[in-house]
Amino acid sequence: MQMRGRVAKRFEDDINTDYIIPAYLLQESWDKQFFADHAFEGFDPTFGPTCRANKESIVVAGNNFGCGSSREQAVYAIKYNNVVAVVAQSFPDIFFRNCLNNGLLPIQILDTSGISIGNDLVVDLDSRSLRDNTAGISYPIIATDAAIEQMKRGGFLGVVRERLRQKLKAQQTRASS
Amino acid sequence: MPGATITEKIVSRAMGRKALAGDLIEALPVDKLYFNEVIGPPAILNFEKDFEDVYTESGKKLQVFNPSRIAFMPDHTVPSCSIKVSQGIRLMADFAKDQGIAMYKEGDGIEHTIASEEAFVLPGEIAVATDSHTCTQGALGSLAFGIGTTEGENLLATGELYSFTVPETINIKVNGKFQRGVYAKDLVLHILGVMGEGGASKRVAEYTGPTIDSLDMEGRFTICNLSVEMSARTAIMNPDSKTFTYVNEALARRKMAMTEEMRGMAARSDPDATFSKTVEVDASSIEPTVSLPHSPANAKPVSQVTDPINSVFLGSCANARESDLTIAAKILKGRKVSPNTNLLVIPASRRVYNWAMDNGLLKIFADAGANIESSNCGPCFGKHMGILAPGDRCLSTSNRNYKGRMGSPEAFIYLGSPAVAAATAIEGRIADPRKYLPAGES
Repeated sequence: MQMRGRVAKRFEDDINTDYIIPAYLLQESWDKQFFADHAFEGFDPTFGPTCRANKESIVVAGNNFGCGSSREQAVYAIKYNNVVAVVAQSFPDIFFRNCLNNGLLPIQILDTSGISIGNDLVVDLDSRSLRDNTAGISYPIIATDAAIEQMKRGGFLGVVRERLRQKLKAQQTRASS
Repeated sequence: MPGATITEKIVSRAMGRKALAGDLIEALPVDKLYFNEVIGPPAILNFEKDFEDVYTESGKKLQVFNPSRIAFMPDHTVPSCSIKVSQGIRLMADFAKDQGIAMYKEGDGIEHTIASEEAFVLPGEIAVATDSHTCTQGALGSLAFGIGTTEGENLLATGELYSFTVPETINIKVNGKFQRGVYAKDLVLHILGVMGEGGASKRVAEYTGPTIDSLDMEGRFTICNLSVEMSARTAIMNPDSKTFTYVNEALARRKMAMTEEMRGMAARSDPDATFSKTVEVDASSIEPTVSLPHSPANAKPVSQVTDPINSVFLGSCANARESDLTIAAKILKGRKVSPNTNLLVIPASRRVYNWAMDNGLLKIFADAGANIESSNCGPCFGKHMGILAPGDRCLSTSNRNYKGRMGSPEAFIYLGSPAVAAATAIEGRIADPRKYLPAGES
């Protein structure tokens, strides 16, 4: 499975979710697109228009992208601006899991410093490589088998629905026996 | 075979089989789940949207996995600060009533404070909530961490967390006696400075050593609370007699007592447990500490900082329990807040608020010129009660001083202990609390 996009934004280390979407907006809407319209408000207001200029954008960062608050709205703010993947040197757990649950690919590679804005990137989950077509370099993707599988699946919803179905069936069997 | 960490033991207990760091658990059953009013409403709406048809297929009504294991705690911007917030709280209250879930009232307290004060989370349990500071419960010896909205809705349905990797553990071993005027907050800010914002990524920060053993529970909650600022998966401490005394008192307030089963869930790391790393910290060398803008890991001794401050916030899930208000009141008693500075005091729960009222602390704060608000997250969430303007400088006892966290991205936030907050409020600039401590006060 492959995803292709153009690098729209680059960030340094330790970008926290407060920068991605400020707290005062979190309770003001239950619509995911609302958060995309306010992405990086107060930190980098060009984020939305720049990412939306491509049909598929990719965001590149240093270490620890998405640290701090657990707000999943940070993932909506990125994803619903046409962003298909975030490439970084590391991700904290909560943000990483929130990405997986929403089909935004959190791609970890050893060193992101060589990837420039405007470069054409291909994420290949089967070969576990990130190809920079512009620079002609390939990077191995660091990920567990489970994370790769979840990235391909685009989230857990199908799994959870099936699990719930089984649980409800087991309850029924217990009740009738 | 080496011994196990407390984290491995808790997961092993939950799974009914031995689990080791690095193991992938496909479905981890969770003991306790709580929601605030920020994420509760969308999680409930998504739960209904994504699962209602599965219940209907099975001839059942929409029903959460186990209402007695779930609690709703509106705390971030209460009393409600907007129409949409009020709608969200009502949605939670209606759902709670329909499903038989405990719904706390606005002002009952900050979720992480209530969860321990009400003995909702117990030692040895796995607890998750839709907030990164859920790691606070690690002080009880529970494995507790934050989740997002989607995991929240999944948990409402099945009570399980999917594809969970048992984390490795960093042993943060703390030795030495605190100097006068040094508290748990100074220690954890110092540790954040050593580790950096990403320093504990993917791992549990387990605090051990004589200094941790000597701390009261409130100090332990503070340390676990701030551990997410070094990106720890969570923080944890090994339960001891202080933990059980705290939990017994919390249960007694609810006319309950600890059962054999509850007691049996508690675990401690084996002496030969495997840690990915051990970090030794000498607590006796630490001075009162502040973290400068704009990172919690930007820690400096308070003696090196004298920046002017026009707003002081004594509150949040990090530092607004009884001992925190007590030390601030000792410093502020008979003194006045600087004419250039606002002091805002928000106790961490209704219980703490009422205790502070009964014991004269609220009068001390009011006489000093403080603003006192009912329990909630206050300006730490950046939405109400003391939002900062461009150029404002705030000293806060909370846990995050990111740019824009409490209002304008052009404001400056410093983090410190309740003692530093009180001294700073008096002087209108970052101040060393040691000169204000009454004789004999440590």
